[in-house]
Amino acid sequence: MDLKNLPPEWIHTGGTLPELISEMETKVPYAAALLARNSGVQIVVNHREQRVTEIPLSQGFVLTAWNGAWFEEVAGTDLTREHMLELARQFAKTVNVSPAEPIDPGPSTQAHFATSCMEDPTLLSPKDKLELCRDLHSRASELDPRIVNVHVRYLETQESKAFANRTKQLSQNVLRLRLSVQVFVSDGQEVKYDWLTKDGTGGLEMIQITGQELIELCGHAVALLSAEKVPPGMYEVICAPDVSGVIAHEAFGHGVELDMFLKDRARAEEYLGEVIASPLVDILDDPSYPGGHGSYFFDDEGQLSSPTHIIRQGVFERGLSDLFSAHSLGAPRTANGRRESFQRKVYARMSNTFFARGHTPVQSMIESVERGVYLKKTSSGMEDPKGWGMQVTSHYGEEIRNGELTGQIFAPVGITGYVPDILQSIDAVGDDFALSGGTCGKGHKEWAPVSSGGPHLKLKARLG
Amino acid sequence: MLQQVVNALRKQDGVHDWLVRHIQKTSNQYYVIGARPENRRTVTSERAVVTVMNDHPPAKKGEGRMRGEAEVTLLPSDLQHLPQKLDQAVFMAGLTDNPPYGLPAPSEYPSVDLADSEMQAKPREVAERMVQQLTEALANEKGVRLSSAEVFVEESHIAIQNSRGVSGSQVGTELLLDFVLLASGKGEEMESHIAFRRRRAADLDVPALACRQAQYARDAIVAHTPETGTFPVVVSDDALVELLMGSGYSPLVLRSAAQLKYQLLSTWESGKSILTEEPHGDPFTLYSNALLAFGSRSGNFDDEGLPGQRVLIIDKGILSRFWATQRYAEYLQVPATGGFGNMEIAAGSSPFENLFDGDGPLYHIVAFSAMSPDPITGDFVGEIRLGYEIRKGRIRPIRGGSISGNLFDALAAARFSQETTFLGDYLGPRGMRFPKVTVAGV
Repeated sequence: MDLKNLPPEWIHTGGTLPELISEMETKVPYAAALLARNSGVQIVVNHREQRVTEIPLSQGFVLTAWNGAWFEEVAGTDLTREHMLELARQFAKTVNVSPAEPIDPGPSTQAHFATSCMEDPTLLSPKDKLELCRDLHSRASELDPRIVNVHVRYLETQESKAFANRTKQLSQNVLRLRLSVQVFVSDGQEVKYDWLTKDGTGGLEMIQITGQELIELCGHAVALLSAEKVPPGMYEVICAPDVSGVIAHEAFGHGVELDMFLKDRARAEEYLGEVIASPLVDILDDPSYPGGHGSYFFDDEGQLSSPTHIIRQGVFERGLSDLFSAHSLGAPRTANGRRESFQRKVYARMSNTFFARGHTPVQSMIESVERGVYLKKTSSGMEDPKGWGMQVTSHYGEEIRNGELTGQIFAPVGITGYVPDILQSIDAVGDDFALSGGTCGKGHKEWAPVSSGGPHLKLKARLG
Repeated sequence: MLQQVVNALRKQDGVHDWLVRHIQKTSNQYYVIGARPENRRTVTSERAVVTVMNDHPPAKKGEGRMRGEAEVTLLPSDLQHLPQKLDQAVFMAGLTDNPPYGLPAPSEYPSVDLADSEMQAKPREVAERMVQQLTEALANEKGVRLSSAEVFVEESHIAIQNSRGVSGSQVGTELLLDFVLLASGKGEEMESHIAFRRRRAADLDVPALACRQAQYARDAIVAHTPETGTFPVVVSDDALVELLMGSGYSPLVLRSAAQLKYQLLSTWESGKSILTEEPHGDPFTLYSNALLAFGSRSGNFDDEGLPGQRVLIIDKGILSRFWATQRYAEYLQVPATGGFGNMEIAAGSSPFENLFDGDGPLYHIVAFSAMSPDPITGDFVGEIRLGYEIRKGRIRPIRGGSISGNLFDALAAARFSQETTFLGDYLGPRGMRFPKVTVAGV
């Protein structure tokens, strides 16, 4: 296998993967092997502390066997060739194979991928990165006397993977960066905060934070000191890209992960090929999106990345699959078979999920609102693919009256409603576009890097 | 592996203090969709998490010594490169200037029940039995079936040593049971989804939980949206734990942390009320309890080697003390209590049934879609996944809409049930009644 740019200790181990497949496939109809490693550095600077450290290293292997009906796996951290070969032999012997349809290993492919970047952070020393954080901290700290602390956090993650089955030998090195500034302010009675995060797969060019952005961040945090609760009710809502993205991800995206179809957990199954949203709406998931925080070159089952058009002009067109759900449902394979780490199984998971850009200028969207709220940033969201109830919490929103922002801040703001009602209420899609990175769980676990976003949206929702 | 790492640390230049946690874990995982297995996995892992401290003169002007620390994770394959890995850690630790602090000194550790011997001996059988119990229980539940289930049966061996002579070890087990039920009726299908974490299989009454969740799934089919307004709200069982503990970042835990106080992010003061208004409900008393038998957050020692303790944090609404790891205890000059353990809350004055007194309308929430109160402000908003409206003795299911408020306002006026419940990392009242909560519904 071509393993250039991957961890040096994998040079021998990676070469073992085809042997492991051959060994297991003497007994089972399909086998695959994966090496996975997450490593990197984290830097934290705040008013009272500084820290430069490795992120918790995760490295291990997974051996997968198809027994004719379902998958069985063993995984571990001992990457010596002898151990893995012996384990593959013993493991294959324990699998009770039943006759069934074979698993398609996919077209023959050998390829190595690595994230490209303009300003490679791995060429900078930890000291230089610490200085970058100290500088940001220093610039943000002096912006307002009400600031009680500023947290700057730099996260650099190298996600290395090598995958093999009998037709594929793939490896990838994905570099993820994340830089966040969190400003805490106090009026002596209470503490409020806001944050700004830049992230993506790529180099330092992805995470530049300007002085103007710091000033705006500080202004938002101070404004939260006088925030009020939003009077509960139905509103016209303008969603900033961050909020639009969480709606795409939580409200709809989780419900089109095809393992949910297998479990009869997704109401979207009834809408395949049907209108589900306003004709202005297109939603995509694209692990190949350049620079996306959720981007990768192939998924954990060796499927090469490509975009999936989930909703096209309001019609639900296609879901997101892993190997098991695609095989079981006879659905097309998409590159969405992802695992949290070698310690967990694969599920159908999103990558970069977003509304496609529209044509309406953001200012004219705001001007069209008589009484509403401009929701600027999400703090959390949760899926409900069966009931299609939506829960998204916006960190704050600003009142709109007669087409103008009033400066009155509401915080926090809960957005609830029935997902198809919300998607069909979208009557304007902005001409802008942005993605925000984060970490997504499935249920309450299985964390994986993703991004979500899109343009500004205008819709109707219940706020409270 | 542990001894090799310790020996290397003792020889390593630039390491002025160190801490090693050696963690070996096995995980048996069983996944089913309906009656059919989906996946079965066995995972074994071993790692050593090493923290090194380096003391050095301040980078900028000043006198004395400053301390930096860095953490590295070592895998068995790293042993051949140990000096290089430790060099890198020392280099990183040397970059940062923090006020000096020490490590815990050796002390006698308690012996807390952490491991289920059956889970250790027969992990696969325990996992299969959980699924079988679920399936059998659901056979008696009309119109309800199992969508999917996941069972993890895990065992961890943790050994700890530090440069001051701390040495300890503990063995623990953990069980995850995550399942989804589907109920059909009136041309609709709805689900109820729940996940439980316990250290001991006997702490999960699977048939009773299956029966409860089946009823929730059936009720979701006929549920209505609640009204909009301010109402009394009772939150109980797993939903209450979510409200109090959030998803790992409870405002009660964070605001009482010495680390947050040191970072100027907690406005709480020892000896002063944590409530934002004059208390007029049941007195709120909170312990961090790492000694609770089979508690998910129990331990003979914490992550840096401080002995497990039961510590009074909030006494009748007054902050008794900040919980503190060694570093922040030294910074604030308060006793080191160790990491926060299980959340223990004193029982209240009312029988559970009496929390529902009155003609209503009153809302009883049993499941949120997600409830994560803001860890700094205590503000909360959560969509109602399932609840009940109680009005003049009539009960009808509700779902959709949300409740919102501030946790510290809400606790000032809350009444708690006399009955307590143990839910893995929570021991406290089964239910709480909050007299005025904003509900956003129709």
